Amino acid sequence: MKERVTYILSRVLELMITLLLVSLLTFAAFSIIPGDTARTILGPSASPEQVEALREKMGLNDPLLFRYLSWLKGAFTGDLGNSTSFNQPVSSLIISRLPVTFGLSFLSLCLVLVISYPSAVISSRRPGKFWDQVFSVFGHVSFAIPPFVLSLVSVLIASKLFGYFAVGKYASPSKDFGQYIYCLLLPAFCVAVPKIAMTFKFLRASILTEKSNDYVRTSKSRGLSDIKIMFRHILPNSNVSVITALSIVLSDLLGGSLIVEQVFNLPGLGRLLIQAIGRRDFPLLSGIVFYLAAMMVIVYFAADVLMNMCDPRLRKNRGDSL
Amino acid sequence: MSYSKYILQVKDLSLDFGSESTKTLHDISFDLRKGEILGLIGNSGCGKTMTALSVSRLLPKDARLTSGSIVFDGKELMDHTEKDMRELRGKDIAMIFQEPYTALDPLKTVFKNLEEVLTEHEVLTKDERRSRILNMLKRVGFDEAEDILGRYPHELSGGQRQRVLIAGACLLKPKLMIADEPTSSLDTITSMSILELIKSLCAEFMMSVLFISHDLSIVGGFCDRVLVIEKGRIVDSGNAFDLLYNPKNPYTAGLLSDSRLDPKSLDLKFNKPSFSSECSLRVKGLSAGYESTHGFRKKKKDIIHDISFKILNGESVGLIGSSGCGKTTLTRAICGLLKPTSGTITDTKGKLGVVFQDPVMCLNPAHTIRWHLNEPLKANKIKLTKEELNKTIRESLEAVGLEKDILGRYPSQLSGGQRQRIAIAMCLMINPNLIIADEPLSALDTTSGARILKLLAKINTERNTSILLISHNLRVIRAATSYVIVMDQGRIVEDGPTLNVLSNPQSEITKKLLLAETTLHRNPDKGQFMTE
Amino acid sequence: MRNKKISPYYIVGGILFSIIVIACILGLLGVGPDPEKTSASSKLLAPSASHLMGTDNMGRDLFARVLAASKYTLFISFAGVSVALVLGTVAGMLAGYFGGIWDRMIMLLGNSIMCFPGILLALVAVSVSGPSLFNVIWALGLVFAPTFARVYRTEVIKIKGRDYILHAKILGVNPIRIMAVHIFPNAFAQIIPAIVIGLANMTLSESAMSYLGLGVQPPKASYGKILSDAQSYITAAPWLVIFPSLMLVIYILGLYFISEGIRGDK
Repeated sequence: MKERVTYILSRVLELMITLLLVSLLTFAAFSIIPGDTARTILGPSASPEQVEALREKMGLNDPLLFRYLSWLKGAFTGDLGNSTSFNQPVSSLIISRLPVTFGLSFLSLCLVLVISYPSAVISSRRPGKFWDQVFSVFGHVSFAIPPFVLSLVSVLIASKLFGYFAVGKYASPSKDFGQYIYCLLLPAFCVAVPKIAMTFKFLRASILTEKSNDYVRTSKSRGLSDIKIMFRHILPNSNVSVITALSIVLSDLLGGSLIVEQVFNLPGLGRLLIQAIGRRDFPLLSGIVFYLAAMMVIVYFAADVLMNMCDPRLRKNRGDSL
Repeated sequence: MSYSKYILQVKDLSLDFGSESTKTLHDISFDLRKGEILGLIGNSGCGKTMTALSVSRLLPKDARLTSGSIVFDGKELMDHTEKDMRELRGKDIAMIFQEPYTALDPLKTVFKNLEEVLTEHEVLTKDERRSRILNMLKRVGFDEAEDILGRYPHELSGGQRQRVLIAGACLLKPKLMIADEPTSSLDTITSMSILELIKSLCAEFMMSVLFISHDLSIVGGFCDRVLVIEKGRIVDSGNAFDLLYNPKNPYTAGLLSDSRLDPKSLDLKFNKPSFSSECSLRVKGLSAGYESTHGFRKKKKDIIHDISFKILNGESVGLIGSSGCGKTTLTRAICGLLKPTSGTITDTKGKLGVVFQDPVMCLNPAHTIRWHLNEPLKANKIKLTKEELNKTIRESLEAVGLEKDILGRYPSQLSGGQRQRIAIAMCLMINPNLIIADEPLSALDTTSGARILKLLAKINTERNTSILLISHNLRVIRAATSYVIVMDQGRIVEDGPTLNVLSNPQSEITKKLLLAETTLHRNPDKGQFMTE
Repeated sequence: MRNKKISPYYIVGGILFSIIVIACILGLLGVGPDPEKTSASSKLLAPSASHLMGTDNMGRDLFARVLAASKYTLFISFAGVSVALVLGTVAGMLAGYFGGIWDRMIMLLGNSIMCFPGILLALVAVSVSGPSLFNVIWALGLVFAPTFARVYRTEVIKIKGRDYILHAKILGVNPIRIMAVHIFPNAFAQIIPAIVIGLANMTLSESAMSYLGLGVQPPKASYGKILSDAQSYITAAPWLVIFPSLMLVIYILGLYFISEGIRGDK
């Protein structure tokens, strides 16, 4: 029990340090701007008085450490000030765009799980045989297609063949949930395809490794059928190693969503991000970047804890590797 | 169904992997009586495992049984479907395997691991399953069976895991147990107790055992009858006594002499140093251990405590102990890889050579042999002219009996024995006072092992180099050392001249090791053969 | 050499990869019309003998633009991976070899960088410092470095425990030499598939960045930029989407197959 507590404490401490580092990286990325930030925002036509006023307003005249600390305080209390281009609080802007980006990532994660698990199980039943070959070739090719290219091509195909215009269509989930899912389905598919291939490949390899393990032979010698062994022993064991891979997949799906939103013209965080970049709206930009990264920190943390719960070998004797 | 005294009758069994050229088993025929232990002996790749797997039909996917019949308990197994076979497996035919470390599902407790045998073949309540498993765990020697039930496999030792597996195999009192090298990865003492356990269970349940092993010498006291297999054919068979005392077949005789490391036939001569000579190594009151992190605190735990001994110039000293006794920690401390907590190590001349156990890992795969031989000089900042260098390399190679053309090769192109020699040659490059050899034989086959031992003897006598030989094999220690130190649980429990210690052991651990050694390799009694 | 069949992955991957290399060489030699020359009279022409892949909305020859783009793509992917590899090697070797506090600090920093989903961090860095070839390369290099550092760290930890390293330590070889001469060559062999995959991922990221307008700047051509320009004409001139997409997929698939081949050899 004591070991559990120290483990959780040390993990939480690590979580805090990572969050701090992430905030530092985000802040640093915006502080390395060569020249005057206020001038960059306002453009060359602004008068020196306007620039000075903005500098004062954004606190640019304060020392760097002070600016970081006040920014950090804002970041953790959810108050990152006003967006310079939208004239709205950064946090409310971000919240208003969340349904699209999170919906897209979540839907694509579902697609990844629903497609990669069955195909990996079928594929690893008879490695090298027909179905394995089919799935593997599909996997190889789809791994190589960038999500935004797939989006463009599927937009082309959908509009030419089915007369389905996916671009720019969106319904808010509170208004029409069915329509919301319907609009996000094609974008989610485009985000998911390469990651389906990645998960499939990882899962297949993991299942095959587990399959060659001795405990499978033990269970076989006890008279268990292949299917029972697959669900009772092989899948739980490979899940342990897949958890980490899935957390990385989730991060990639989120990254992919940001870009695919742009192709489908969906009002999500990705669009907001590009708009913020275009208008050099640094408060908004830093808010989006920090909150997305902070969310991933928590996802990785959750994955690590989950893995620890699943695998008794990780629970004890941590650090005693010698 | 008529009564038969045989539980298993295999006739003209042939097996291949898809074509005639891949034929692995040729017309294997044998019978196994009820309650009998039958040994199936042969070198790796001879087909002994395939024979056993054919019986339980757990063959690899591409293997085909081309002909023959397998009659188990009066029923022809060749006609059985996979579903019929599944019903037999675990219930009537149980199996245990070589590697107990990985044979249990690591995510499930012992109870969950064993429970599936019962859920698969019988309808029982959870409490009934629990009590059956508890009883069986007690039977295989767990005094605190309740505690074992809730443990995870990684919390058990190798011997404990093998016991758990045996308990699982015996839960339904099978008629036949197939044991595939069940003791090969266990140490001597544990092996002995596992074999004893199988033997007693066999008598208690009237169970027959098909015992597969590569070591002919250990089956002597264990099996009733023995079959010797070579290249997929049975070349010799008979009761264990006849086969071991009077091997008629030359192949059997060869196997037998390979597995008995006979010191006399090796013609080993080691230095007998006088007691007045100087020490090449003196260890005084040494304690050492590793640091481990618990949360935020660091703890240092000593593995070895208060070790004192000395090695005289030109002396050959043995270090005995079972696994986990602290041998490795001691070596590391002597080599300076580990900072001692207390105590001193006086390495009077400072020149030390080390030979490790695993010849695969001892050389760097990215570099040639010439580079390897040069490295000790570079590390010691010894600058030689090209001629001197070539001379030293030639001498070292000659000393270990290798040709010059080996210099340009990479480690992957050498055999295990050759690599071990290169490791010794690397030591010789700096002309050390002491060579520490950590289980140098255990990863080699018997012939190469004997050669390495001879080589160490030659270096010892010709160069007057001291040797510290670490081994758990008492026969090696007996053959190659004049003085011996016995370690147990991080302390020296006994030391003295080798012959004295081994003929008149004082400490518990030495007695145990000796007993296990003799029991494992004991000769069969004539009267042991089962009669009905 | 043992008599072994060359994996079909190598052959297919090699062919696909060489298509891009040839395109790149042609681009460097300046074959065909000027990729940056606009022409009001030849807008959105379908592929024909004079314009192999047709023309875009500004009348530029798509074939020439694709050749020019492959030049930048190849350069950025190799340069970016080199930056990532150098950073990753140093960080990974230090973390793996010394362990302890070094390991913790380096891995924490690496993990923090990896917490930014996808290429978010590179996007921000480039948008803040201004899109240019140089900025794209170092930003992507920084984002990819932790991946290499991780692979190195795992390898070094594995190799560190082997007997030949112990032996070198016993001989008294200094740590820098152990890392450089004893560990590095063995670890590097394991890194090669990661490098090839890194090239593919780098290309994916670069094209996504230039699609968003933060990569190679116009009038220079890049796959992502061509595709984002083409988006408005997607139904009128589908060739503008098809050809660059195809080239991009060919390059990535080629690299991917080569890495599969290398993996299969092990």
